[in-house]
Amino acid sequence: MKEKVVIKGTKSGIILVLSPEESFETLKMAVAEKFEKSADFLGEAQKAIQFQGKQLTDEQKMELVTVIQSHCRLSIVCIMENDDKLEKSFQETIAKQQSMANQNSGQFFKGNLRSGQVLDVETSIIIIGDVKAGAKVISRGNVIILGSLKGNVYAGADGNYNAFVVALDMDPMQIRIADTIARSPDKPKRSKTKETKIAFFENGNIYIEPLDRDVINDIRL
Amino acid sequence: MGEVIVITSGKGGVGKTTTTANVGTGLAMLGKKVVLIDTDIGLRNLDVVMGLENRIVYNLVDVVENNCRIKQALIKDKRYPNLYLLPSAQTKDKTAVSPEQMKKLADELREEFDYILMDCPAGIEQGFKNAIAGADRALVVTTPEVSAVRDADRIIGLLEANEITQTHLVVNRLRMEMVKEGNMMSSDDVVEILAIDLIGVVPDDEQIVISTNNGEPLVGSESKAGKAYMNICHRILGEDVPYLDLEETNGFFKKFASIFKK
Repeated sequence: MKEKVVIKGTKSGIILVLSPEESFETLKMAVAEKFEKSADFLGEAQKAIQFQGKQLTDEQKMELVTVIQSHCRLSIVCIMENDDKLEKSFQETIAKQQSMANQNSGQFFKGNLRSGQVLDVETSIIIIGDVKAGAKVISRGNVIILGSLKGNVYAGADGNYNAFVVALDMDPMQIRIADTIARSPDKPKRSKTKETKIAFFENGNIYIEPLDRDVINDIRL
Repeated sequence: MGEVIVITSGKGGVGKTTTTANVGTGLAMLGKKVVLIDTDIGLRNLDVVMGLENRIVYNLVDVVENNCRIKQALIKDKRYPNLYLLPSAQTKDKTAVSPEQMKKLADELREEFDYILMDCPAGIEQGFKNAIAGADRALVVTTPEVSAVRDADRIIGLLEANEITQTHLVVNRLRMEMVKEGNMMSSDDVVEILAIDLIGVVPDDEQIVISTNNGEPLVGSESKAGKAYMNICHRILGEDVPYLDLEETNGFFKKFASIFKK
């Protein structure tokens, strides 16, 4: 049979897991019995307590604390609510894992992104069309533009320095990879030929180079 | 304590942004600490005219929404270290900011700058209300066309209703040869219709197009528009400067001489 009451110890407190099927009265008895038995083991200390398993009202919690203190030598200094911070950090870790997985998957977008438009995606993105000046692409992964890039691109938006940007016609306003920003020169050199180029991060800087075999070999996904 | 000046016109395309860029740059050249604020949220231009578009990271909406500190959003000019730009957001619209927020922002900037120039969007809706919220005085820009003058008249009325009484007129894109032929209103005609004090007359100058495309305001240059804008700056500082003689056209010999100058 499953235990009605389980005591778990942590560094500074105890977690009391109560079976949700049992009535409060039964649990109270079980708690009294349990703490009386373990009184010697628990010793004399100040502890915080957290209730899990069964939903309790504040009065019921206080009642249980009184029961505990009268059956052993512990003194309960506070009641901890379920820890939201812990929950949040679990969620963040899970989200991080997911975004790692996202970096290597991608999606397509067809059309031109014009001034004032923002394309914000979790995965890598392949844009079939132009990114005009004033438009913005944000991706957790890589950005590949089958067209001209004249606007802003933010690749590796959650801090991935391996992210890169490729465009058939590379003339960006700004490129950001992780937390490094590069902006276009004030006096642009107009190169007549359109050439496929890649922007990548290396040693604290963002470099833009023609997409040749050497550069392709250096790409890390 | 700095002064907040709004540059407005009602009608679009008469030269508010060009005037903001040139007057702001001119005041900075005269040693004042100046910040230009683009309040045209969603259709920003001032950053392009100033040639600072590639430096934008944060914008006006980020500041108002406390996504960043004011200092982080201010862009220092390429040429004058005492000139700053607070760019507008491109991906939001006018409702992203309220007049109260603009007033608070203007009051904060007043502490540190001598002049705060607000580039107002066209129209009389929310964007206009935002731009004039914190203003002490206004420059009303108009071209010598009935449509622009009509809108300027409406704007002057709205400014008065909002208790901005110190308004000055800039007549922009004046073509002296057309005035002489009687095909265009003169600046005196415009002043007579609008009944506010004139602060400057800027001739139509193709150099403006070049300067806008290069992202470098031409104020202070030898071009007529450049001189006219510099005169406006002096007048804003309270100096008495005579008006340019716009009738003196570039004659044959002058053109000849200017070729040799280059």
